[in-house]
Amino acid sequence: MIVADQKPINEILGMLERYDKVLFVGCQTCVAVCMAGGEKETGVLASLVRLARQKAGQPIEIDEAAIQRQCEEEFIEPLEADGYQAILSLGCGVGVNKLADHFGIPVLPGLNTGFMGHIEEHGVWAETCAGCGDCVLHRTGGICPVVRCAKSLMNGPCGGYTDDGLCESGTGAPCAWIAIYKRLKELGLLESMTETSPPKDWSKDRFSGPRTRVREDVRL
Amino acid sequence: MGTEKREAHHYTTYAYNAEIKEKRPYPPCRAACPVNTDVQGYVGLIAQGRYEDAFELIHAVNPIASTCSLICHHPCEQECRRNDVDEPLAIRHLKRFALEQATEYRRKKRKPIPQTKEESIAIIGSGPAGLTAANDLAELGYKVTVFERHPTLGGMLSSAIPPYRLSREALQEDIDDVLAKGIEARTNCQIGKDLTLNDLTEEYDAVLIAVGLSLSRSLPIPGVDAPDVLLAIPFLNDVAYGKQPKVGEKVLVIGGGNVAIDVARSARRLGCEHVEMVCLESAEEMPAWSWEVEEAAEEAIEVHHRWGPQAIRVNDGKVEGLEVVKVKSVFDEDGRFSPVFYDDQTSFIPADTIIITIGQMSDLSFLEGTPVEVDERGRLIWDRDTQMSSADGIFTTGEVITGPGSAIAAAANGHRAAKAIDLYLRGEDIKLGLVAEEKETILAFPEELVQKLSKQSREKIVHLAPKIRTSNFDLFEVGYEEQAALMEARRCRTCGGGAIVNAAQCAACLTCLRICPYDAPLVTSKAQMIPEICQVCGLCAAECPGLAINMVSYDAGEFREHMSDIIGDVDPERDAPILVAFRCNHNAGVNGDQLPDNVRPVHMHCVSRLDVLDLLKAFECGADGAYVMICDEENGKYKNVPSRVKKRIEYVRQLISNIGLESERLSYFEAGTHPDEVWRQAARKMTEKVKALGKD
Ligand SMILES: Cc1cc2nc3c(=O)[nH]c(=O)nc-3n(C[C@H](O)[C@H](O)[C@H](O)COP(=O)(O)OP(=O)(O)OC[C@H]3O[C@@H](n4cnc5c(N)ncnc54)[C@H](O)[C@@H]3O)c2cc1C
Ligand code: SF4
Ligand code: SF4
Ligand code: SF4
Repeated sequence: MIVADQKPINEILGMLERYDKVLFVGCQTCVAVCMAGGEKETGVLASLVRLARQKAGQPIEIDEAAIQRQCEEEFIEPLEADGYQAILSLGCGVGVNKLADHFGIPVLPGLNTGFMGHIEEHGVWAETCAGCGDCVLHRTGGICPVVRCAKSLMNGPCGGYTDDGLCESGTGAPCAWIAIYKRLKELGLLESMTETSPPKDWSKDRFSGPRTRVREDVRL
Repeated sequence: MGTEKREAHHYTTYAYNAEIKEKRPYPPCRAACPVNTDVQGYVGLIAQGRYEDAFELIHAVNPIASTCSLICHHPCEQECRRNDVDEPLAIRHLKRFALEQATEYRRKKRKPIPQTKEESIAIIGSGPAGLTAANDLAELGYKVTVFERHPTLGGMLSSAIPPYRLSREALQEDIDDVLAKGIEARTNCQIGKDLTLNDLTEEYDAVLIAVGLSLSRSLPIPGVDAPDVLLAIPFLNDVAYGKQPKVGEKVLVIGGGNVAIDVARSARRLGCEHVEMVCLESAEEMPAWSWEVEEAAEEAIEVHHRWGPQAIRVNDGKVEGLEVVKVKSVFDEDGRFSPVFYDDQTSFIPADTIIITIGQMSDLSFLEGTPVEVDERGRLIWDRDTQMSSADGIFTTGEVITGPGSAIAAAANGHRAAKAIDLYLRGEDIKLGLVAEEKETILAFPEELVQKLSKQSREKIVHLAPKIRTSNFDLFEVGYEEQAALMEARRCRTCGGGAIVNAAQCAACLTCLRICPYDAPLVTSKAQMIPEICQVCGLCAAECPGLAINMVSYDAGEFREHMSDIIGDVDPERDAPILVAFRCNHNAGVNGDQLPDNVRPVHMHCVSRLDVLDLLKAFECGADGAYVMICDEENGKYKNVPSRVKKRIEYVRQLISNIGLESERLSYFEAGTHPDEVWRQAARKMTEKVKALGKD
């Protein structure tokens, strides 16, 4: 799932400063699950913004809505934005893009979209895939070196990890390659570590420009 | 700043509940009640101190509610799921409490129902069945006349059930409610004697026969004709009408049912110290309710089990006692009544008065020569699908057709008969209209769950001491004090009143599954709560990021929707800060409402349901501060509540401090063992603290 976090309230208040009638739109998919932008969080943020603006003597009118997925045109379609000066989206960045394409008014991001990740424990989310476009997990025991190794090494470990097995970069994260080593050992596949991985095809990564995917057979 | 009793805010509306509850499986208490009273609904209202609302909920389905609150055999309690945890909820006694509290309210509400329909209906018999039908038909706008051969209305309730169990004042409240609707009651009017059935069919568009079982059965044994051999119903009639029937020094009651117990206990109250009973059955087989048997034993009434009456020994017109024979078995292999005796084992029980209480039958002599047919065994012929007798437009209801049962079952049948008559008079298909939907009942608590549920013993129901109570016919049972009623009401587990998921809103995030202390949620593609497991704590609804969860027994969104009404107008010149105070119904009930008037109390099932939105809303709607009273883990009704609620409060504190509001404006207090003290001090402490911070 996509994991996002609400922007600091002061930043949001800053974005909204010039408006006094705004629609807040939540998304009931990934960001609902990571408790950043579902219907509930939309309500909480709206309430907080109204309160802050009241306090500042500049009341704001906010209506709230939440749709199934902000990344789909058909779900956006029924939304009415007439009469609002702006929309604040609590979807991930994709949602903000889509709403901005659809409506002719400013669409503001309520969230900082973070990463693709999983839930480590209730209330704790961690990044587990970088969406690099050229997956290597078959060689690494299902542990992604692109995100979990600070240097995205393909043939680790670098040797710089601390005595307690943490990454030398000081992130406090455990060394991904020690984890890969242990996993491969458990799987009886340790000898695969002796094979050197070929250079990775980074052209499929997002740094090489926006990516699209087409499947001709399903196109309408 | 004065202290006054401020109306607390409760928003759960019947409309919301009733509609959803109807679509859900019934809790076993409700399913067991012949009129399907929403037990958890009214018990929940009692827990909140909302006695008039509780009355409304009860009375909506039960026109003989006060009566039932004293004498109902309470099948609801027998089925209560708390039986598996400790003891059943004292449902009947709670009902009594609510009705007694609502007496004035109910009297004020009485008013005639306008007659909007042309047709008129004659009802013969004013017992629970006839009275209920009269109530419903009047409610529908028909002209209703009730004919009763006794001088009072109520059937067995007023003419036979002894007043030490059913006070006539309570019964009268029920009757007055029905009469107030504009029903004509013709007492001392026996059909078959003062008027004929024909007279009624000529004048009325429909007739309802609700004559009950008014004749006592006798025994075909020698000596029954002696003057001191009495029959139960005439004896109880005399008792009921204060005629003080004469009994000797040693009374023997033949029979082992509830009526026999009433007879024996009445004889005790007539001054006879030696009352005994004799019955065919063993103590276990005896048909009387166990509690009635115990109460009789407390009154020194002895029961001779497994003896069959053979002859009444009479000497010189005076009864000397009963010759009895030992019972070998009462029921045959198929469980049918078919007593077998040891003919060689006999005995003699001395007595100077014998009262035969072996059952009742109906008196249908008034049907002779009418089109209403009776079968070869003298029973009224009727159609179960339509409640109609063999004569068109003549309907029947109550024990005359169902056989002996309970008052509330007779009332339930009265409802059905009224419906049948209405369908008939409107020319609609009666059979089709009477088809009742099969209701599902929620299942028992799974065994693993029982271990997790907190125990709380049932509030004792006090009876007057046997010595005192046997000296008169006054009500022997004492009603709950308010504190006891509130404690008892809190014991209800609100079965089936729990979480429901709006699938369209559910993101399958698994929060509910992780947070539920009882493992009620099941999340596959969407969440689903298992009704028999859910304890209605509300923890999940407060944390669902999709706002997908609501409750059958309350609306999880009600506080945020109504927060501005709760707070009311905010005076910009206010001196004392406006505070919203949240607490659970239990604490609300047992602690009373004495609060300074700057505090807006909000009561709820459990504070576990308070979510971040509710708390923020208080500030958004103008509160200067807010606080929550939290029970501790040990004394709370539900698990894991304090830790969750404190975390939410901490989160909201952080949110408001981020926008420049002092986090101290939101606080909580732990109820501990002196919640009343804590509650009183909380208002004072918070008022001082927030006042120092200034207006928000
Ligand atoms: C002693 C006793 C104790 C009981 N205790 C309990 C208890 O604790 N709890 C409980 O739930 N139930 C109890 N019951 C049962 C309960 O009273 C009955 O289930 C209920 O009264 C039946 O209602 P009904 O309307 O069918 O008939 P009834 O109550 O019998 O009413 C019928 C009425 O019709 C009248 N009538 C009959 N013939 C004519 C006529 N020809 N013309 C005019 N009027 C006529 C009768 O006088 C009577 O008033 C008890 C019954 C008895 C006898
Ligand atoms: S605990 Fe309450 S809801 Fe459950 S069966 Fe008993 S009375 Fe009914
Ligand atoms: S907490 Fe809400 S959104 Fe999440 S699974 Fe449960 S019902 Fe669905
Ligand atoms: S958390 Fe509470 S209300 Fe929700 S499903 Fe579990 S028991 Fe029911």
